[in-house]
Amino acid sequence: MIEAVKSKIVEELEKIVGSEFVSTNRADLYIYSYDLTTAESNWPDIVVLPQSQEELRAVISLANKEKIPVIPYVAGGNVGGLTIPLKGGIILDLKRMNRIVEVSETDMYAVVEPGVTFGQIKAYLNKHHPTLRYTYAFSPASTGVMTNALVQGLDNLSFRYGDASHWVSGLEVLLATGELIKIGSCAASKTWQAIAPFPELDGLFLGWQGTTGIITKMAVSLWPNPQHGMAVTFMPMDLEGAYEILEAIIRTRIPDDLIGTSFALNKVGVPAYSHHKAPLYPATKRLPDEPEFVITAEITGNTENELNAKVEAVGEAVKARCRGFKFTGPDTQPSTTAAFPMQALGVLSSGGGLNWVGTYGPMSRWLETVKKGCELQDKYDITRTCYTRIMNEGHFAGLRWMLPYDKGDPALVKRIHALCEEQLDLVLETGYIPYKTPVWAVRRLEELAGPDWLKLHRKVKEMLDPNNVMNPGRWGMPRE
Amino acid sequence: MVLDELKEWLYGCTHCGTCKEVLNIFSPVCPAGEKYQLESYFPSGKMLIARGVVNGVLDLEDDDIRERIYACTGCLSCEQQCGVYHHQHIFEIIQALRTEAVTQGNLNPAYMIMVDSLKKDDNVFGKPKAERGDWARDMGIKDAGQEKVDVAYHTGCMLSFDPELWEVPRSAINLLKAAGVDVGIMGLEESCCGGHAYEIGYLGEFTKYAEHFIETFNSLGVSRVVTSCSDGYSTFKKLYPRVNIPMKFDVLHMVEYIDQLIKDKKLKFTKKVPMKVTYHDPCHLGRHLGDDGVYEPPRDVLKSIPGIDLMEMERNRENAWCCGAGAGVSQANPDLALWTANERLKEARATGATALVTSCPWCERNFKDAVKEYGEDIEIYDIAEIAQKAL
Repeated sequence: MIEAVKSKIVEELEKIVGSEFVSTNRADLYIYSYDLTTAESNWPDIVVLPQSQEELRAVISLANKEKIPVIPYVAGGNVGGLTIPLKGGIILDLKRMNRIVEVSETDMYAVVEPGVTFGQIKAYLNKHHPTLRYTYAFSPASTGVMTNALVQGLDNLSFRYGDASHWVSGLEVLLATGELIKIGSCAASKTWQAIAPFPELDGLFLGWQGTTGIITKMAVSLWPNPQHGMAVTFMPMDLEGAYEILEAIIRTRIPDDLIGTSFALNKVGVPAYSHHKAPLYPATKRLPDEPEFVITAEITGNTENELNAKVEAVGEAVKARCRGFKFTGPDTQPSTTAAFPMQALGVLSSGGGLNWVGTYGPMSRWLETVKKGCELQDKYDITRTCYTRIMNEGHFAGLRWMLPYDKGDPALVKRIHALCEEQLDLVLETGYIPYKTPVWAVRRLEELAGPDWLKLHRKVKEMLDPNNVMNPGRWGMPRE
Repeated sequence: MVLDELKEWLYGCTHCGTCKEVLNIFSPVCPAGEKYQLESYFPSGKMLIARGVVNGVLDLEDDDIRERIYACTGCLSCEQQCGVYHHQHIFEIIQALRTEAVTQGNLNPAYMIMVDSLKKDDNVFGKPKAERGDWARDMGIKDAGQEKVDVAYHTGCMLSFDPELWEVPRSAINLLKAAGVDVGIMGLEESCCGGHAYEIGYLGEFTKYAEHFIETFNSLGVSRVVTSCSDGYSTFKKLYPRVNIPMKFDVLHMVEYIDQLIKDKKLKFTKKVPMKVTYHDPCHLGRHLGDDGVYEPPRDVLKSIPGIDLMEMERNRENAWCCGAGAGVSQANPDLALWTANERLKEARATGATALVTSCPWCERNFKDAVKEYGEDIEIYDIAEIAQKAL
């Protein structure tokens, strides 16, 4: 941005939010210029922190008038490089807009502003609505509730209810052109219980990575908080066994959450819990008598009897289906949700970096994809780090290979990046679609999806953001 | 420490944000981050600044970058919450950035008075050295420099030069005398501990004071040094070992000593002190000491005073919110210091307590100033002042 233009914009922004919440200092710009992934860094020109809807509206209006890119930001931990400003502009840090506007105990939803975090909503519900719970992401507590839903995150109720965008029951959106629109029941009533029976306009914003508008309020579903919980763990000796166990549990429809990880990932992650570095390279291999995979089903019940019956049913289903496969367990332990938010520690302790090709895809090609993805890790001498979460009662699966790495080791960074490129080729071939899609994968998907698909995306983007100021360069990017 | 020696830790931070809140309570922990909200003020932002400085992307000549580096109270709350392997080195990295700035000649003007005063008068307040023992003038306390004593009471800069706080060392001495302790002070021969010099990046000054302190008390042959200053106490316990001179005496904080005297039945409280109080854990008496954090002795002392009703704040012990005064912030950035203190006072009032009790003069001073600035209706005391009322 030309310096004279920048000075004028900064002056205007300071009038809107106050000078203490506008920065062009190099330290701030540097911090927002990259994230924990291997995504290429790119500096913003200005950082702004609005607190109210009025301030936000004025900032967007100014940006649209001056045609300056605006990149919404809450915690920056999306593992997709989604808040790195591809074309400079204004980082719109929304952490000050952090009100939990409403919790409806009867209709079981919460209306939140963009800056509300998982930690915040957990603490709030525990204190004021202990009979209700929201879901929790496999991420630190500072993760934004709204952004997690916006980027279709996977959480600890995903087996029951699918990805986090499915739990959105209402939106308030600010368009680049200044209109403030409510979507769902809240458009015509005081309650935010559902998007239906309106046309599902939430699809114009959910999954779009902030390229079509700024969501200023979101209603998310809450659920009763069951009194009893347990994690049931199975450890198969090979991936075929893992697939069979997952399939067996899926058909019971019992768990709240069903996840599986490479045993080697757990092995590497152990030192992290005693504050040691957890390096993936060179690869840590499992020993011959160690399992290949760890599968955990989170099960809850209203009573202890109900819980025990569910646990028994899951165990019986696995035994009935998996006779031909060797596995250890099942083993039961207290619910892992108790460990929130440090459950992610094992993948945050390798040296400041975390990358993955994260995907959603069909169970029908799960085994093939996992096998090939793990073999690619072997090829690069990186520890096997597959992580899968079964979504929406098995209608699809979340699948990724988590790659924590040392950002201070350029050779390792290169190795991780090359592995991810090969894994992307693999998943695209087996029908697994990258989520929280990094821009380099967006371009590949655009090619795969074809010109009419891309044309539609561009039309939507152009209609909602005619000056292309909203997080430009990502979904729906105009032809250059 | 200098930045070059800390390269191992520079890439530890993923910017995950866990350092921003108390684990599983999710209340804020970082004063500078909470006040300013820009990522550069949070610990993770400062780790990235260090990375940028080492990689030559950022420059400590930039006043605004240095302002961010110095906007840290050194409370170590981030280190308490962070689970990653570099967690015990976060403030060390910030301190190394400060040292780097000083080494480069990029000095913070707000600290020049402190540094000049240290060189000239051995204290951080620009006060004449001759006034150091004024607080004890009429108390008839032994001069530990002139006659043999068993225990030396180290007053510290804040309690020596702030008349509004003189009741703290006077109460401490009265308590020790009531317990029959053979105690003396160094009077105007006492020097600064050097802890603040260390925290703002003046390693040379720190080393000078550490060596002087250890050698002085070794030569006097005291068995114990006791202090009411938590900053000084953690400097003696955690920083002095770095100068590699064996200490031939042990060091206790006053609250530990009172607690010990009570439990040894040498100190008895007879009068009722009907007060509803909450206790603020000073960072330097808690997190700065790691596993040796002094959390229970002050509570045990308060519970042993008849009439005291002790209420706990939500953030207590190792999760306590900082008072805001530490690591040179009260000198260079009083707005941040007082805002931080007032956040704590609001939390204290929410317990129903009418008084906040602490055991560090830097905390006490800052809380008193915050009451004046913001008007929160609460009284501020050192634990020795409360204990003396019960004698």
